[in-house]
Amino acid sequence: MVKEISSMNFNTEVMEENVPVVVDFWATWCGPCRMLGPVIEDVSNELSGKAKFVKVNVDENPDIAQKYGIASIPTVMVFKGGSVVGNMVGFRPKNEIMKVLESHI
Amino acid sequence: MSNRYDIAIIGSGPAGLSAAINAKIRNKKIIVFGNEQFSNKLIKAPRIDNYLGFHGIKGQELKEQFANHIKAMDIKINFERVNNVYAMGDYFALMAGDNNYEAKTVILATGIEFTRPLKGEEEFLGRGVGYCATCDAPLYRNKVVSIIGYNKEAEEEANFVSELAAKVYYVPMYNGVYNIKSTVELVKDTPLEVIGDLRVRKLVLKNREIETDGVFPLKDSVPPSQLVPGLEMEDGHIKVDRHMQTNIPGCFACGDCVGRPYAYMKSAGEGQVAALRAVNLLDNRTK
Repeated sequence: MVKEISSMNFNTEVMEENVPVVVDFWATWCGPCRMLGPVIEDVSNELSGKAKFVKVNVDENPDIAQKYGIASIPTVMVFKGGSVVGNMVGFRPKNEIMKVLESHI
Repeated sequence: MSNRYDIAIIGSGPAGLSAAINAKIRNKKIIVFGNEQFSNKLIKAPRIDNYLGFHGIKGQELKEQFANHIKAMDIKINFERVNNVYAMGDYFALMAGDNNYEAKTVILATGIEFTRPLKGEEEFLGRGVGYCATCDAPLYRNKVVSIIGYNKEAEEEANFVSELAAKVYYVPMYNGVYNIKSTVELVKDTPLEVIGDLRVRKLVLKNREIETDGVFPLKDSVPPSQLVPGLEMEDGHIKVDRHMQTNIPGCFACGDCVGRPYAYMKSAGEGQVAALRAVNLLDNRTK
């Protein structure tokens, strides 16, 4: 399951989390983001228990997007202990996302 | 689901058309994307001596032969341009302008793009460099964007971005009348390099430097790895095995886009191998 979060709860949901957190930065007007959504959902089911999956709408949360230098979406970041350990820009097929995530989880 | 094709073929050169006829013979539901000329390289060839059975034929004549062949087999070419192909798992989603298509397998036969990327273009991809200005425009609200336009369509993108960005520079790579808004600054100069640190800072041209947050080179065809995100490349070509299978299951590639030699018969042969392998995959799935 991929939980929708905002700048209000970003700290508690991502930074203070003990398990690895996968953050999907997206927006409603972005075609590739809409395609990536179901793929990430699929990946989250496969990796449930191993990592936490959240998504951030960059339109509604420009401060977070700014802070992490999001210049293109979709961008998927992996956080561990409050720091960024992985970064994927653009749509990726499921097997590739799995490969990247498994190296961080 | 009813609109899901068995095979989507992207490209109408010898590789794409050979893939199309072979898939059609095997009774698959296909869609072919391409253009009216089939292949700009083909129609420009003055004389071809190495296409078996057609000694001394002109490129334009060979094109007519291809046209007759596909017409006889009732294969039509869809003239839309495919901008993106997304591997969704058990199918592919193809974006062509405002239309979306779905296919179980994809055959890439896009040829080779001779325009080399700018220095720094690949390095800063996703960190200020992008290939779809309208897609990323909202991220450049109140920032400076430079658009390098290789065709007329890029002008519309520049006009659109100018509504959000603080400043838009337009660098045309062709001659003509530029239909751009007065707020867009026209820069008639040759781009050389994209430079920056963690992200794009400057676009260096022959005669000046522009401080910019984003650079969008907008070309006729995007590199294969941009067309199909996640596609593995090797030395500027799509990496395939001897069955023309790429690293993405169900996605095949053939012709110039997979490597040298750049030749008609090699392309046609590879198109056939790709089509038959795709057919094989589809038949095994339905068993």
